[in-house]
Amino acid sequence: MSNAYVSLTGLTLSYGQTVAVPELNLDIRKGELIALLGPSGCGKTTTMRAIAGLLAPTSGKIMIDGADVTRTPANKRGIGLVFQSYALFPHLSAFENVAFGLRLQKQPDAQVRAKTEAGMATVGLTGFETRKPSEMSGGQQQRLALARSLVMEPKVLLLDEPLSNLDARLRLEMRNELQRVQKDTGITMVFVTHDQSEALALADRVVLMKDGKIEQLGTPAELYAEPSTAFAANFMGFENIFRLEGADLVSDHGRLPFGTEAAVPLLAWRPGGVAVGKGPHVGRVIASSFAGDHREYVIDSPLGQIKADASIDLPEVLLGQQVAFDLPQATARHLAA
Amino acid sequence: MSRLTIWLILGTTLTFLIGPFLIVIFAGASAGETLTFPPQGLSLKWYAKVFTVESFRDSFALSMFLAIFGTLTALLIGIPAAYALNRYNLPGAEAIRTIVAAPIIVPGIIVGLALLRYFVVPLDVTITMALFVTHTALVLPYAVRVVSSSLNNLRADMEEAAVILGCTRFQAFVKVVLPNIRGGILAAFILGFVTSFNEVPASLFLSGPGVRTLPIDMLSYMEITFDPSVAALSALLAFMSVAIVFVAERLLGFSRYV
Amino acid sequence: MFLNRSEGFALALPAALFTFLVFLVPVGILLSAAFQAEPGVWSLQGYVDFFSESLNQSVFLRTLKLGILVAGTSAVIGYAAAFCIVNLPASSRGRIFGLVVLPLMISPVARTYAWIVILGRTGIVNDVIVGLGLSETPIRLLFTETAVFIGLLQLFLPLMIISLVSAMENIPRDVVPAARVLGASWFQVFFRVILPLTKEGLVIGGTLVFTGALTAYITPAILGGSKVLMLETLLYQKVNVSNDFVSASVIAMILIVMCFSANLVLKRIASVRS
Repeated sequence: MSNAYVSLTGLTLSYGQTVAVPELNLDIRKGELIALLGPSGCGKTTTMRAIAGLLAPTSGKIMIDGADVTRTPANKRGIGLVFQSYALFPHLSAFENVAFGLRLQKQPDAQVRAKTEAGMATVGLTGFETRKPSEMSGGQQQRLALARSLVMEPKVLLLDEPLSNLDARLRLEMRNELQRVQKDTGITMVFVTHDQSEALALADRVVLMKDGKIEQLGTPAELYAEPSTAFAANFMGFENIFRLEGADLVSDHGRLPFGTEAAVPLLAWRPGGVAVGKGPHVGRVIASSFAGDHREYVIDSPLGQIKADASIDLPEVLLGQQVAFDLPQATARHLAA
Repeated sequence: MSRLTIWLILGTTLTFLIGPFLIVIFAGASAGETLTFPPQGLSLKWYAKVFTVESFRDSFALSMFLAIFGTLTALLIGIPAAYALNRYNLPGAEAIRTIVAAPIIVPGIIVGLALLRYFVVPLDVTITMALFVTHTALVLPYAVRVVSSSLNNLRADMEEAAVILGCTRFQAFVKVVLPNIRGGILAAFILGFVTSFNEVPASLFLSGPGVRTLPIDMLSYMEITFDPSVAALSALLAFMSVAIVFVAERLLGFSRYV
Repeated sequence: MFLNRSEGFALALPAALFTFLVFLVPVGILLSAAFQAEPGVWSLQGYVDFFSESLNQSVFLRTLKLGILVAGTSAVIGYAAAFCIVNLPASSRGRIFGLVVLPLMISPVARTYAWIVILGRTGIVNDVIVGLGLSETPIRLLFTETAVFIGLLQLFLPLMIISLVSAMENIPRDVVPAARVLGASWFQVFFRVILPLTKEGLVIGGTLVFTGALTAYITPAILGGSKVLMLETLLYQKVNVSNDFVSASVIAMILIVMCFSANLVLKRIASVRS
């Protein structure tokens, strides 16, 4: 791709004999906010550390802004990284944490002061200059770590699970903050997360990874609506996935007639896509929980357990009762593999 | 258990552990000529006499020298070793750890004899040098252990953050690691100092005529004289240790490192 | 970035090399001398000679006996004291724990010397005995096994208490009250809950105290003298009085074997109990 700002070509990373990331290819555009999404061990953090220069690739190439940085040491790469643990320096004040990198560059004092103050203002920490990191809340520490990276004006800002250590309310606040900072500075951001809702909410494009490989790459809307594999579908909330054999749905437990044949081997439904209370099939409710605007059922069916959400307007089905249900063609997602 | 039982048990235990010191303090403050308790009248003459005994002054100076420079040397080679064992995934790290820890496992008197026969004599090492080397080796395990545990509490990603912000590895160590393990290094120094200063068994064979560490000098003084000056000196040394530990505890919560 | 192994080895090398050359090599040669009653001839003759002397036998047995007694007694006192300490309110806990640690920082010569003042011919105990008319003349308390035992116990008890306190602090909260609510007596609480949960601390403490007592020099030298020899003081005599280096090496080997087997035996006991 000609407009790639960061590009990984054939990137291979291994620890001893184990290959964590085999032959990864990825292009990131300038000013883009991209999410590396996947379960733990999928290679997303390894990939991020390689971009930062903390891990040497076994083979492959990393280009940033037209320059090959594959062999450039981490301290000369011009990359920002906000660590999951924030990695703030406990012996330094908030101000000195932010000024740390600027001072290393031997910038004049007045300039260090101006940039540091501006950086702290960007993340709303004006007035906290003399605090030690240990005297700040989790959210403030997160923003301090962000400011420390931003003042260096990095070509790319990497964020490792930026929201995982925050409580639900702060997470929402920080999510907006990150988007605002990204819009204001136009910086290229890559963040790593295992939380699909976070990735979908924040990113311009999402890279879904599995076993060191890219499973699917696309906009949040594309990934959400059109996952292309069983893994992607499952990650995007299609919790009921079955094989299609002829005109039957098949699982390890048994089979149910589906009615029509299709050209794909797998069909998937979100819990919300399963019809409850009416339909050709019958199962028994083995778990039920109230979730505000709907009820979440687990139905024991010939296909095994099926997760289904039912409108709160429908009469409640008690535990152990039989219930009719349907896996409608209209809400089925067709999967290639 | 009732509060009474708890304090009764603790009171008895602490009396057994600490009570004898109080007795030594008073025995040293005797006005009499021989060691008795209760003392025959109170005076500070034995406390004063301690400072006039020449052999005590010499051996005190030697013990101070060994404790300070032995410990500093141990830290000088121990800190890099602790850092390497903690941060690098070295094959054979366990073996290195065992080698470095060995001097505490082997009884001191054996260390002294072995060094005398197979290090000092064949290499014709001076007594002071022999004691210095021995004390360094005996303190090294503590230095490595205490510094290691403080490195363990310092997340490695802090150094990575420093490097990404532009530090070289060495700068990251000096600017980020050292300031944050200062407490551990100070604790290691105090522990090493106290260990070296109080050491007897290993120094026993290595001490020679006129060159003795203070505790060994006290032992030989006791064999000859039975006056209260050793009691006074013991009390003074106890005060010194207590003062050091007290200050260290106030400054950095020393006991969490021990 | 951090996986440059040669750099790591370079950092660890000075310490490892130093210890290896000035410590392991001499100690290794010394221990090998224990198998060479005559230089260059490998045999167990040194051990045969050593154990054929009844004095050596009794010193060996006394050392073993005192080690076991001191370790056992400090375990009993240690459990009581440690249990009290962990049940103190947080404010006084630190201070009391500090008082337990404190003696470790003080010179063992000073610590042992205190017992001369207490147990000597003109010490407090004899003053009381004579004063109460229990005996006409002062009795000999110093240079007895009891004196050595008391001295060693005082020296090493703190190590046991520290090990047990840290083991007890790791017992999950409310486990003891839970056992009480389930109907366990204090006796059962100790043997079925506390002991199994702290046995690692007991093994560490027991090893420290036992090996400490075996290898202490000052206490038997001051409080036992040549009347109550232990292996360490015997070793010193073999070298400085009789110039018998083979016996000294044999004693060194015995001490090291005893220390290591103590550790193994205690670990074994702990794993059998579970």
